[in-house]
Amino acid sequence: MSSPRYQPGPLVWCAILAATCLLLFLFQKVLWLVVPLLFALVSYYLVLPLKQRLVLAGVSHATAAIIVSAGILAVLGLAMVLATPWLGAQLAALQAGGGRYYEGGMRFLSETLVWLEGHVSFIARARLSEQVAAGIGEFNQTFSQRYLADAAMQAAVWFPSLLLIPFIAFFMLRDGWRFKRLLSNAVPNAFFERTLYLLDQLDRTARGYFQGLLKLTVLDAVCLAAGLWFIGVSSPLLLGVVTAVMAWIPYVGSIGGCLLVVLVAATDFPDSPSVAYAAIGLFIAVRMLDDFVFMPLTVGKSLKMHPLLTVLMIFAGGAIAGVAGLVLVLPLLGIVMVTGETLGAVLSEPRLRARHRHAKALLQAKVTVDL
Amino acid sequence: MLRLFAPATPTGLQARLREVELFSTLSPRELKVVGSLIHQRSVLADEIVFDEGEEGQAIYIVLAGEVAICHQGEFASPIAVIPPGRIFGELALIDGGPRSAQARAVRDSELGVMFRGDFQNLMESHAAIATKISFQLARHYAGIIRQMAASLGRTR
Repeated sequence: MSSPRYQPGPLVWCAILAATCLLLFLFQKVLWLVVPLLFALVSYYLVLPLKQRLVLAGVSHATAAIIVSAGILAVLGLAMVLATPWLGAQLAALQAGGGRYYEGGMRFLSETLVWLEGHVSFIARARLSEQVAAGIGEFNQTFSQRYLADAAMQAAVWFPSLLLIPFIAFFMLRDGWRFKRLLSNAVPNAFFERTLYLLDQLDRTARGYFQGLLKLTVLDAVCLAAGLWFIGVSSPLLLGVVTAVMAWIPYVGSIGGCLLVVLVAATDFPDSPSVAYAAIGLFIAVRMLDDFVFMPLTVGKSLKMHPLLTVLMIFAGGAIAGVAGLVLVLPLLGIVMVTGETLGAVLSEPRLRARHRHAKALLQAKVTVDL
Repeated sequence: MLRLFAPATPTGLQARLREVELFSTLSPRELKVVGSLIHQRSVLADEIVFDEGEEGQAIYIVLAGEVAICHQGEFASPIAVIPPGRIFGELALIDGGPRSAQARAVRDSELGVMFRGDFQNLMESHAAIATKISFQLARHYAGIIRQMAASLGRTR
C-alpha cells in the first residue's frame, strides 16, 4: 500500500501547541519533580555514551550503570575535596569583591541618573536620582526582613527534591533501555515499526536538544568573551562563560548576566561610563544574535522547528509558566511535536488500523477454534 | 559473585541468532551486543508483517515458522518463502525506502526485528560488528544476483 510520507495538518499542529501549553501549565504545579527530572535527563544524556561503551564491551546494563555512576560520584567527590581550599579562598574574595562591585554599580547608576537629569528636563523635575537612591536604600534596609526568610524556606523545600537528581539519573541509566523495550513490546504488530521510529525520534530529539544547548552556550561564551576583551573589561572569558550559562534561563538569565557585566565594567572603569555603556550594547547585541540566530540554528535546528515558532513558543512558555516555562518550553515542544506527528501518522493510516483488526480477528479465531 | 562479562557460550536468543546467516561471523560477545538490539515479535499464520510500498524502518529475521514474500494481494503465488535463520526486508537497513513486496506469515512464526536507527548507532559506536554484518549483507545480495543471473541464463 503505497502512501506519501505523512505531513501533519493544521489540526495536528494545533493539538501539538495546545498539548505543550497544557503540559507547561501542569508542570508548573509539580516543579519540585519536573526540575530534578530535567537535570537528571541532562545528566543521563551526558553520561550515556560511557555506559554504552561498557555495554558494548560486554558488561551488563546494570553493572555498567553502577560502574559509571560510582565513577562519576568518585570523580566529583575527589574534585570537591581538592577544590575545597581554593573554593574557600574564592568565596572570601567574592565576599570582599562583591561589595566593591555593588558599590561600583550603584555609583554608575547614580552618575547615569544625574547625567539624565542634567539633559532631560522632565526627569530633572521628577528628581529621579533622589527617588531611586531612596528606593535602593530602603530595599537594602528591609531586604533581610522581607526576603531572607522566604529564600531560606524555598531552599529548604527544594533541597530534598534536588537530591532526587542522582537517584533518577541512575535509574534512567540502569533501566532506560528496559523501559523502552517494555513500551515497544506493548505495541501491536501492525503499529510496531512506526512506534520504534517514534521512540528513536524521541530519543534523538532529546539528545539533539541538550547537545544544541551546549553548542549555544559555547557560541554565547565565545561571542561575549571576545566582545568584553575588545572593550577592555577584566576576566572576559570567565564573565562570558558565567553569563552564557545564566542564559539557559531565557530573558531572566540574560538580564542577570547583563547586570553582572555592567557591574564589573562600571567598577573596573569608574571614571569612564562609556565602557559600561559599551558592555550593555555588546550584551544586547549578543542576546539578539542568540535569540534570533544562534538559538534557532542550534536548539531550534536540533528540534527541527521553524525559527519563528521557536521564538513565539519561548514567549508563550514565559507567559504560561514564568521562568520554568521559559526553560522547559523548547524541549517539551520537541517531544510533544514528535509524539503528535507520529500518533497522527499512525491514527490517520487506515491500512495500519485494518491490519490490526485483521490480526485481532486471527487471534480470536485461533483461541476459539475448539469452542 | 558479580558477573561482569558475558558467558563464553551464547544462550537463548543469542544461540538462535548464531544460526542466522547475517550474524554467523560474530563472536559470542558481539552476538550479545546484537541480541540486545533485537526485538522479538510473534505473528500468527496469515498475519501481515509489512505491506508493499510501506516505509521500511527495520530488517526482519525468521527465528521460527515461515514468512511468504509476495506482491500485494498475490498471496497464493509468493515470490519467496523465508525459512528460519533467513532474513527479509533487508533493503530497509540500507535506504529506509518503501518495501518492494508484502510479507505475510505462512504459519505462526517468531521474528527478530532490528531497527534501522539501532543499526546506524551500532555503526557509530561499534564499527567492527556493523562491518561484519554489512559484509554478510553484501554476500547475501551477491547470492541473490548470482541466482538471478543463473535463472536468466536458463531462460535464454
